[in-house]
Formats: sequence, structure tokens, C-alpha cells
Amino acid sequence: MFAAVPKIPWRVARKLHVAPRGLALAAILAVAVCATGAAFGADPAVRVIAQALTVADAGDKYPLTAPAAATRLPDDWSLTRPEHDAVVWYRIRFDPPGASAPHSSQSLYIERACSQIEVQLNGQLIYSTRSSVGSVANHCARPHLMRLPASALLPSGNVIDLRLQGHALQRVAGPARAAGLSVLKIGPSEVLAAEHARREFWNVSVVQALSIVLAALGFAVLRLDSWNRRNSHLRPYGWLALCGSALALHHWLGEAPVSSASVEFIVAAAVAPLAAASMLFLLRLAGRRWRQIEKLLLPQCLLMPLTLLLAGPSRLFLAASIWNTVLGLELLAVIGRTLWLTRRQPPHEYWPMAAALVTLATALALEFAVQRAWVAPPALETTQLILIALAIGLGLRLLRGFAKALQAAELGRRQLPGRALELAAAAERKFSQMADARIEQVMAQERKRIAADLHDDLGAKLLTIVHTSDSQRISTLAREALEEMRLSVRGLTGRPMQLADALADWRAEVMARLGQANIETDWRGPDEDVEQTLPARSFVQTTRILRESVSNIIKHSGATNCKVRCTVRDGEFELIVQDNGCGIPMELDGKLDRGHGMASMKHRAKQMRGQCLVESAPSYGTVIRLTLAL
Amino acid sequence: MNFRALSRAPETRRMNSILLLEDLPEIRVWLKALVLEVFPQALISEAARVHDALELISAVKFDLALCDLGLPDGSGVDVVAKLRELQPDAQSVVVTIHDDDDHLFPALQAGAFGYLLKEQSRELIAEQLKRMSQGEPPLSPSIARRVLTHFAKMTRRQERPQNMPQVSLTDRENEVLLRVAKGFTLPEIGVQLGLSRHTIADYVKQIYRKLNVSSRAEAALEAQRLGLFRR
Repeated sequence: MFAAVPKIPWRVARKLHVAPRGLALAAILAVAVCATGAAFGADPAVRVIAQALTVADAGDKYPLTAPAAATRLPDDWSLTRPEHDAVVWYRIRFDPPGASAPHSSQSLYIERACSQIEVQLNGQLIYSTRSSVGSVANHCARPHLMRLPASALLPSGNVIDLRLQGHALQRVAGPARAAGLSVLKIGPSEVLAAEHARREFWNVSVVQALSIVLAALGFAVLRLDSWNRRNSHLRPYGWLALCGSALALHHWLGEAPVSSASVEFIVAAAVAPLAAASMLFLLRLAGRRWRQIEKLLLPQCLLMPLTLLLAGPSRLFLAASIWNTVLGLELLAVIGRTLWLTRRQPPHEYWPMAAALVTLATALALEFAVQRAWVAPPALETTQLILIALAIGLGLRLLRGFAKALQAAELGRRQLPGRALELAAAAERKFSQMADARIEQVMAQERKRIAADLHDDLGAKLLTIVHTSDSQRISTLAREALEEMRLSVRGLTGRPMQLADALADWRAEVMARLGQANIETDWRGPDEDVEQTLPARSFVQTTRILRESVSNIIKHSGATNCKVRCTVRDGEFELIVQDNGCGIPMELDGKLDRGHGMASMKHRAKQMRGQCLVESAPSYGTVIRLTLAL
Repeated sequence: MNFRALSRAPETRRMNSILLLEDLPEIRVWLKALVLEVFPQALISEAARVHDALELISAVKFDLALCDLGLPDGSGVDVVAKLRELQPDAQSVVVTIHDDDDHLFPALQAGAFGYLLKEQSRELIAEQLKRMSQGEPPLSPSIARRVLTHFAKMTRRQERPQNMPQVSLTDRENEVLLRVAKGFTLPEIGVQLGLSRHTIADYVKQIYRKLNVSSRAEAALEAQRLGLFRR
């Protein structure tokens, strides 16, 4: 694994980071929205008109003959005329300010006029949002600002006629799209222009910008997912982003080539895929499936449009709000479950996610309350803003998760050669170890085989000679040959042995032999523990030398006492065998008689890269000094 | 430790029925002569193959068995093991060319009482045989080292086979083994530890017996692990 493996499954770990930034963004937006949505400090130069005469008439001019009713503004058609689905004329009268600011231009500011409006000043058309294609344009979210041209203004008794055309609540997808008129404000253009700009910015521009960002994110995530199909929660996110941004974007599209009923239907029906995508995303994010809900998602997406169609345009809002309730409850359930499933996360991952989900839930609840008209709709589209901001934050977080995974993969890739080298080195070590062990094994087997062969053939024959020969000398020779054979095998293929073990073996043999020959023996080994090893060949040669010396002592020396000293000093092993016998006889030319096997002793010592010195005198006895380099 | 055994003088065990297992005919003849010299009254049964020896063991009661290790149809170790199983009172002595512990140790593990090296002189072998029958098995430093290693391995092991006792050496036995491994002869050890020669010899016998039991336990454990025991 390249990335660090936390206790939770790595897939879940990588997903569940909601950017603190995204959350901060949402928080800032909400605060700003609420702040600017708060009652704007009233400017004394701005007149607020809260009452108008209304007539329901579809004509092009204010009908003077029809009875007019006095209506308070803001006027919400769902309250005052719930079934009305056409045009309403409003007439207000006002007097221009006069002396206070005679040269500043006046403007009329309408915060909300849903859905299309025409304004006439003293009979002259000064403003129109009427769509050219025949269907009702939707400018519900836009504030309207129009200058009152000075040329049309009368000194007193000015009349402003507003022709408002909109849809009844029952025919639209939500109360934000239901017809209504807000208070009118008449005042100096600069002041009202500032207010208009502010409102336009927050209500329209920001949402447009954010929804474009959201759409881009959605595309990006979908593309990422198509390249790398590892995370199943990316696709729902992509769809949810696209759906959401389409919905939000469409909210701002004024004119559409299709009839308003179709537009409303599409807007209402689009909630189902959006909710489905969100639920799918959350479920996949939590990492565990909830099959009952998942099974419902697709049928719902198909069923909702169907029922909306069946309900017909006149009951759209009812059907839509029922479906919205159902979907909202489902989404709340999924949110709750996600929060429950991921509760074991480490806190720094869990709480941002939890906060985001709770915000989502509250936004939904708020939206629901607004839809049921339990709460007055807020001045700005707060919930929509929050939802879009949350979605963007989530998307950024997903991308960040991707980037992190990429980083981790890069890191892993960079580490890979190093790790490969490590593994290779370890494998090589292991291999050489195994090879050595194998060689050991093979050597041991060889040794056994050679020994077995020799013992079987050569040994058996020698043994027969030993026990069937009449001559003592031949028996002894055969016996010695057998000993030699054993030693040779040992020296040829034997393992190195511990010097301490060798000394013990030698001691036992020498003491036994000399003891049997009734020679008093004093063996002194090294004082400290010896850790050195002796190669098998050296062991064998030294054994031979020692045996030769002991045999000499037993057979020829007539000694009664023998001293053996073994020392290890400066990496050298020294063996001294001294007896108090008659010494080795001299040859005629004054050299010691080689017939006592001393030549072979010296030869063997030289083979071991050591040396063997012999001192002998008749009264002195014999001293054999063997030195070996360890 | 049985105190009565300590104070008892060495007695030559009466060997009335002896088994000789040796494939080389000349050696067999020589061995037979030697055995009769040591135990004149004994009845000697001869075998040249493991198969024959095993048959003899199941039929005849023996006091002593002298087994060669290298036989044409197997190893004398099997005979030693079988003898220990069927006739626990019998003593088996391995008579072999090999002097290395690779060959001797398995035989001791199987229950051999001691070992003799074939190529030694007649007197020497007779002496050793007599001593063995008096209860003094031989113990060389390399054998002692292997015994120590074996028991060290057994105590290190965690598992224990079912129904098998775990044997370990007493401190005294360990002492004796350590000194033999250092190269001291048995009389020397007796002097060092202040024990009589026969006590030391008894220790050695105990050591061999425990080695046999321990090795059988080890074999049982292996068999169990391999699933050969169905308990």
C-alpha cells in the first residue's frame, strides 16, 4: 500500500473529508446573505409605496371602468387571489419630491415582480419584461429598476400602472415562482441603483456564477470518474452537481421557447433525479449500501414525472410538494444513516462532514417550511445559495481527495525503486544463506556417503584383517590403517569444530590411553574459555600428531609421568607434550632418530601452516611442541 | 535415585542368552569367540540380517544383544529399538566400525546400552564388554555433547506429547555430562565430585535411559504432529 492505511477502510478514509474551506465558504455566504437581507436602513429620500389599486384584467391598458380593489403590497397572489392565473393591473399615485432634489432623476425599484411585468408612467411605457415568444417570461428572482424619465413626470398626480402577469401557486413548482409583487420604492436613482445592484448581485450573479462553477465541477468529477472507476461515489456527485446547476441556472433563464406549463413541469420533475443523485452519493460515501432505499430511487425518478403529468398543470404544486416531502424525508433518513455509519471516523474528518450534512438537513427543513408557507420566504434565496455552496465544497473536497491520492501514488512510485532494491537485497541475502545451507547439507551428505562407502568396503576388509590375522603386527597395522581411514574421511569433508570440543576429545583419549599404560598424566588446558574453531583438517592432523606422541611415550619412552599443556595466545594454539622418559635416541650423525615418526609430525605441522619442534635428551625426556595459527 | 543401588557393589549380570548381529562372517566368528570368553555359559544366537534378528527377538528372550550398525538390509538401530520395545530388560550393545557420534547417537537414542568399536584389540573389547555388563557404559566427549544438546533442545520445546512424560536431567547428571564433555574421564569425575566410580556409572546409565525415553517422546511428538497418532 502506498498511502498510509488507517484503521477505517481506505476508500472511506479518502472520501470523507469535507473541505473546511467549502464549509467556510457556505458559512460566509449565509452570513452575508442574511446580513444584506436584513432590513436595509431606510433612506428618507426613498418613498416606499405599500398600497395599490388592483384590477384583474388582461388588457393592454389599465381598465378604468372595472372596479378596483385596494391591495396592500407586497401582494402574494396565493393569498389574495389563489386561483388567478393571468394578468393583474396595479395603479399607484405619487407626487414627485419637488424642491428637495429637483434635478436628481427618480427611479422606480421593484424588488420582486413575478413573473413578468410592464410599467407605464402616466400612460407611457417605460419598462417591460414581456417575452417575445408568447409564453410567460420568468423574472421572479430579478429585481427591477427603471428610471422615471423627467419628461414624463408631472408636477403632481403621477400615475404608474403595472401590468403583472404570473402563475397561480398551484401551477408552479414552488412558491418562489408563484406570482406576486413586492413593495415599490421610488427615490433617487443613485440610491436605488445601489440597492438594485446589491440585490442583483446576491440574488442573481452569485447564484449564476456558483452554478456555473458547480456545473464545471460536475463535469470534471464525471470525467475523472470515467477515467478512473475506482470510487463509486463520484458519479452520483457528478450527476447531482449537473442537475443542481441546471436547476439553478434555469431559475435565471428568463425566456424559454417552451410553454410555461412545460417549464414548470420540468423544474418540478428535476427534483427527483437531484434527490436521487444526492442520496446515492451519500450512501456510497458512507460505504455501505441501503438496498431498500436504492431500489426506490429509480422508480421514483420515473414515477414522479408521471404523477406530475397525471396531476395536470393545475395541481402541479400540490403534487410537487407531496413528492418533495417524500424525497426530503428520504434524504433526511439517508443523511441520518450516513452520520450514524461514519460516526467512528477520527474527529477531524467526521465533524466537518457532520456539520455539512446537518446544514443540508436544516436547509431542507427550511425549504420545506417555506413551501408549506409556515415560514415567510426569506428575502433572498438563502437555501439555494447554501445548497450550491455545500455542493461546491463537496466537489472541491472530492477533487482534493483525488489530488491526494495522486500525491500518494507519486510518493509510492518514487519509493518503489528503493523498496525494490531493498527487497532484492533481502532476497539475495536469503538466497546466499540458503545456498550456504545447501552447500553445508550437500557436504554433510557427501561426507556420509564417502564414509559409508569407505567403511563398507575398505573398513570391512581391514577389519577382517585385524581379527583374522595371526600376526600381531599385521593386526596392529590394519587397525592403524582403519584409524587413518576414519581420520582421513573426517579431514576431507568434516565441518570445522570448536577448539574446546577438540581439546575435550583429545583429553579423553590421551587420559584413557596413558591411564591404561599406568602413566601419570597431568593435562592442563587453556585458562579461559576458547571460542575459536578449528578446521577439520587441522583437527585431524593434530590428532595424528598427538596420537603419535602418545604412542611413542607408551611404547618407547618408559616414562612414568607425562605433562600436557594447551594454550591459546595471540591467535595461536600451542600444544606441549612432555614426558620424563628416556628420550629419543640419537642417530649416528647426531640428529634425532627420525624413525620415531617425527618427520611425519613435522610434515603434518607444516601442512597445517604451523610448526612442530622436538627437544629430547636422555635425562631430560622428550618435549614435543606444536604451534598452530588459528 | 535409589540409595540401595548406590551402595550396591557392581555385580556382573548373568548373560545367559546373547544375540549376535553381524553380517561379515569372519567378524561374527571372532565376536562369538570373544563373547564366549567373557560369558562362558551363554547361549549365543546369530543373525546376519536385520530381518532374521527381528524374528529372533520376537521368539527368544535375550539378556544381551551385540548389534552391528551397517547391515545389508537395514540398520542395527531398528533392532535395538525393537529389542527395547519387546524386551525392556535386555541390554543391547552396538558393535561398529564407526566412531563418530552421527552413527552412535541414534543407536543410543534407540535404547542401546553402550557401544564397542570393532577394530580394537580383543583384550580391550573384552574388558569393555565386561565393564558394560557390570553396569558401566562408555561415554565419550562427543557423545556427551550430543546428549547435552538433545536435552537442551527438549527443555526449550514448549509442546509435550500426550501421555508421554517429559524427562530432564537432574543437576548431578548434568554435571557429569558437562565434565565428560570437557574431556574428563569417569574416574576423574568421581574424584572431582566425590562420588564412587559406580555412582558415576549409574548416572551414565540413567542418562542413557532418559535419552531413550526422551527420544521416544520426541518421535511420538513428531508422529502426532504428522497426524500418525489418532487419539
